[in-house]
Parts: sequence; structure tokens; C-alpha cells
Amino acid sequence: MNERVAIVGYKQTKHTFDSPVARERMIYELVKALFAELGITRDDIDTFILASNDFTDGRTISEVFTVPRIGAYMKDETKVESDGLSAALYAYMRILSGLYETALVVGFSMAGSEFRAPLIQSYTLDPVYERPRGIINYYSIAALQANAYMRKYKFTEEDLAQLTVKNLENANNNPYAARKEENPSIDKVLGSKPLYLPIRQAHVSAYADGACAVILSSKKMAKKFTNKPVWIDGVGHFMDTYYIGDRDLLAMEHLSAAAKKAYKMAGIKNPKKEIDLAEIHTNFSSEEPVFAEAMGLFKPGSGKDVVKNGESRIDGALPINPSGGPLGANPINATGLIRLAEASAQLRNEAGKNQVKGAKTAVVHAQDGPGAQLNTVFVVRR
Amino acid sequence: MLAMYFLILYITVQCTGKEGFMAGETVKAMVPITFMYKNRVGQALQVYLNGLKEKKIMGARCPTCKKVYVPPKTVCARCRKPIDKWVEVGQEGILKNFTVSYVNIVNGEILDVQEPYVIGLIKLKGASSLLSGIVKIPSVDKVKTGMKVKAVWKETTQGEYSDLVYFEPA
Repeated sequence: MNERVAIVGYKQTKHTFDSPVARERMIYELVKALFAELGITRDDIDTFILASNDFTDGRTISEVFTVPRIGAYMKDETKVESDGLSAALYAYMRILSGLYETALVVGFSMAGSEFRAPLIQSYTLDPVYERPRGIINYYSIAALQANAYMRKYKFTEEDLAQLTVKNLENANNNPYAARKEENPSIDKVLGSKPLYLPIRQAHVSAYADGACAVILSSKKMAKKFTNKPVWIDGVGHFMDTYYIGDRDLLAMEHLSAAAKKAYKMAGIKNPKKEIDLAEIHTNFSSEEPVFAEAMGLFKPGSGKDVVKNGESRIDGALPINPSGGPLGANPINATGLIRLAEASAQLRNEAGKNQVKGAKTAVVHAQDGPGAQLNTVFVVRR
Repeated sequence: MLAMYFLILYITVQCTGKEGFMAGETVKAMVPITFMYKNRVGQALQVYLNGLKEKKIMGARCPTCKKVYVPPKTVCARCRKPIDKWVEVGQEGILKNFTVSYVNIVNGEILDVQEPYVIGLIKLKGASSLLSGIVKIPSVDKVKTGMKVKAVWKETTQGEYSDLVYFEPA
């Protein structure tokens, strides 16, 4: 059995809205570049885990095409039909088991150019209830959640717009982000197309083409890869019930439970104090205060104050999505894994213009399913 | 001819922004996939749909926590207990949450609608769940949580979701 698992390498593509290459080429180039950076070959990897979705790839058993591209030919490989952070959790457990010392995790999709993200999302809706009714979808759920939050805590559309601007500014400084908006402003956000109010186009994450690769290793082997390991010290993974009308969209007990489990494992008693930054998987910027509060990073209902005093900005007390988060790039299936890569970059002091000074501990979150039915939380430390 | 070929190659390399990629790799092919499934709706939704036919809104009561799920379910996720107790809930309720919609999502396409409309989460009398539905209101600006609403039915019902057309202020 292995006791501690580290992130020893990470790399993401420059995400775009229209990739010049096919997904196979994209992940091949990405993994090749990561191996070259670390000076390793595929022989140094014991198990390969892909995160993709047959619906996003337009074919079933999609990995028959993608497995060879990441170097897993004649190697132990498996796939997760979910977000990449779930694949990282899988890799983490495989290494903990002691059967494997190293794992490569790759998540990818072509959500920017090859399919309509809302179409794939609609295939996750109950086929015999929600789909034929056409009322509940990812966008309207986000709007209902946002409205509940705004009403209860007097969070205004301007506050939400300011939060979106914060993320767009961070995305502008992130060389990997697909979305670049010149001089983002509250007025521009509030002037963007209304979808399901308060959700406007500007609040929607940037569905993009892109991929992310992360290498995990046992403590024993970590030195072979890097002298800057990032340790996975806590994990949590919880799912809520499916029906929106049966869920508490504000309390998000399942996310709260996942975070608590991860904090307990990592020995974190006061997350607000002990955590230096969070990378949160938001499909809509309105999810940020709700998720951050469910994860115990801010007091329930403090969204307005957090926006006002800039607490979640890069120079604030607890930066949330210093990378710009999925508002800058949301290549479905890679998005949660990118959060892990971005947090690793922060802890290794490699986050460039978006660097949070002196970051030692980070919390990483990923979601999947309608209205974040599934949540994964990692606590990582340098 | 050869010059033309190199020109195209040059443009492709410029477009991809990186040398070494094969010319023509940006070409896309349409990949149509059509499936038609005939899924069973399951016992609980069958009860719900049968109820709609009789202009009734049916729910299911968990024997342990007494929660009334609408639409009905055969298992309470919290108690892990099977449910076979169907109950009719009220046709009036309170609007608990809503969004004003400017679009519809059809086949993944976000389409503008002519008039904005309200999607609501409604707590019907006797139900624990919030039921989602369209709330028809003369002016969408007037919509408020706490409003009393009631179900409006199609004249001739057929046991379909569309039998319950929308909710309107009660």
C-alpha cells in the first residue's frame, strides 16, 4: 500500500473555440510535450486513465482511438465517463492500492467546435421526464439557483456582474484561456444577452476545445519526476439526488459533505484560514458564491461582501479561480482536471501573472451532472 | 500548380499557428447520429401520467420520512425505502422560485422566444417536492415568490405531460 500520492507533472493545451487539430492529435501532442518536459517515456507510467464522454466524442467506446495517442498501447488503461477530476480520483486510488506507482490522467473535449454543449447536457436529463418537458436544463437550473441565492442574501445582478468581470480579468491573464474579452466591465456583462435571468450570456462558461494531462505518483517514485511535488492530502466525492425539486440548491449538502470529508482527511479545521486559494468548477459564474460557501470557504450569504471587498480576487484573502476558472475555458471532461493543474501551478509558483503569493494549500473542485449533482473535492499542498 | 499547392500549405500552416501539422487537418466532416429509444417510464411516472389523464397531480409518500415526492418515485433516496403509496396532491400551490426565460433550448440550440416566460418551482398543497412548470402571468415583471398559483389543464387530456399546460395565478 502507498501512503501519499503526489501530482508530479501537469500540462494543458492552449484552449480554443476552434482547434486546428483533431482530438487525437491534441492529446498526443499534449502528452508528448509533458513527457519531454519531465524527461520520461511511457514506460515510466503504470496506468493510464482517460476522462471523456462517448456523447462528446460522437462514438462509443471512444478510447479505442484515444488510448494509443496517450501512450497506453499494451499498457494498463481505463476510462472515466465523467469529469477529469473523477479520473484523477481514480488514479489516486489506484496508486494508494499499491498496485501502481504512477498514473497519467488525461481529460479532453471539443466542446468549442464539434458539438453544442447544451445538447450533450440535455442527454444527461431524465429521458422520460425532463427531456420531453423541455423546461429544466443546465441553464435554467443555474438561474433558479442564482435567483434563490440573490433573493435570500440580497445579492444583486450588479454583484453577479462584478464577479463575472473578476473571472474574465483573470482569464485575460491566463495564457491557456480560450475566452479573451477586451476590458470586461459590469455594464458590458449586464448588457449581454438575457437567457434565463439572472443568467446572461456573459455569465456562461466558455465551452472550448482543449485537453489537460496530469501525472500522479506514489511518494516513493515522486523524486524521479520532480523536486516540486504537490501532495493530494484529502479527497471527497458525493452525489445528490437527481430531481431539482427535491434538492436544496443553496445548501448543496453533497458538496458540503465532499468538502468536509476532504478537509478532515487533510487535517484542515478552518478551511477559510488554512486554504490559500480555490479552483472551482463553475459552469456559470453565479455558482461561485454558492459553491464556495458550501465548501466552507466563506460564510453562507457573504457573497455580496466578498465581491465588495475583493476577498476572492487574486490579491484578496482567499482567491477563487485565479485562473479565471471555466469562464475562461470549459472543455467539458477536462475542466475539473484543469482546476487541479491550475492549483498545482499555483502551489509550485508557476502561475505567472495570476500567481497567488505564497500559496501553500489549495482546494480543487469539479462537478458533473445537472446543477452539479456530482461533486469532487481535492485538498492539495506543496 | 505547384506554387498553388505550396501557397495552400503555407496558409494552412499559418492558420494552425504551428509547423508540423498536416495540411487539411482543420477539415470537418458532419457525423450524424440518430437514435430512437423506447424507454419504460417506470411504475412511478406511469402513476403520474395516468393521474394527468384524470386531471390529477399524483405523488408518492415515503413510509419512513413521510415526504411526498412529486412526480412520484418508487424509492426514497434518503431513507432507502421502497414506496408504493400513491397520493393525490393539491392543484394549487405557492411559487417558491422562478426564472424569467428569454430563450428555449431545443436540440441543444439556444433559441430566442417571442415573449419572455416564467419557469417556476411550485410547492403544491400536500407535496414535499417542488414541481417545475411554466407559470403564465400577464406581465413577467409581476412574478414574485410566494404567489399562489393553480394548475391549468388541456380540455381533453391524454395522459401526457402537456395535459397540465401551465400554472396561473390563483
